[in-house]
Amino acid sequence: MAREVSESCVDSLLTEMVSTYCNRFYANKPDLAARSIEAIGYQVGHQLSERYTMDRPRFSDHLEAIKFICKDFWSELFKKQIDNLKTNHRGTFVLQDSQFRWLSRVSVDLSENGDVSQDNPEATAENKAAQVTSMHLYFPCGIIRGALSNLGIPCAVSADISNLPACELLALFAN
Amino acid sequence: MIVCVAVVGHQNNPLYIQSFTDADDALKLHHIVHCSLDVVDERVNNPKKSGPTLNETFLGLLYPTENYKVYGYLTNTKVKFILVTTDLDVRDADVRNFFRRFHAAYVDAVSNPFHVPGKKITSKTFAETVSTIVKSFGLSSAG
Repeated sequence: MAREVSESCVDSLLTEMVSTYCNRFYANKPDLAARSIEAIGYQVGHQLSERYTMDRPRFSDHLEAIKFICKDFWSELFKKQIDNLKTNHRGTFVLQDSQFRWLSRVSVDLSENGDVSQDNPEATAENKAAQVTSMHLYFPCGIIRGALSNLGIPCAVSADISNLPACELLALFAN
Repeated sequence: MIVCVAVVGHQNNPLYIQSFTDADDALKLHHIVHCSLDVVDERVNNPKKSGPTLNETFLGLLYPTENYKVYGYLTNTKVKFILVTTDLDVRDADVRNFFRRFHAAYVDAVSNPFHVPGKKITSKTFAETVSTIVKSFGLSSAG
């Protein structure tokens, strides 16, 4: 029984969730908003990993689990595999997605911040864009962290978006 | 006949344990399940090269006692399923099939957003599904 979800619905839900947490619940506390969104992602990842690993043999080591995240888990979530996986063999993995689906349609409404200083509008706009986008990344980071923790790999996951829509996820294991 | 099924979390914490006998032997069955956890650990830490395929989720017969046979299953997320049955000639395929359906029911139960990971499964739907699966166990081979 494969149930499908409309992609635009997921996109809208994600956008709406981020904006609700950032602008309504924790309007002046971006840290708290980020942590709440990450926690939601964690639970989602926790449950998804349970489902997607159902018919698979058990993983023998961390690398196998990471490979599963890059290939099968990623295809289930984003309909594509990770483009590049790098590791330093000491517990740090860098997952690169050159066309991160959930950010491919992100744009920033510049008319909203009419009150910002006019000295350096370009830099402010860029800054604002980066801030908004990074808010949208806490959810996928949470998902990955939830999935890995459920597979028995406690870790920290952070994201880097210096060149959109490419996205780098950094998974750091505490081993 | 299946007399007991159990779900045990990754820290060996009981998540769900249910016996299906009329007699008052729940404690004995819980004891059997408890003992089987050691066997699961042993299997996982010293995998037999010759046995079933390495790292398979289905662990096979954990140990037979005088009256019962105990089977185990370990998910990728280190959750253990234990099955205690009184049938002495059980087909492997039946047990595999049981665990597959049981696993599906478990995944559905923990995907409930109101379920707290690591806490006992209190869902009534899960209990009903499990008892249906338990009742249908072995019917395919008999029929």
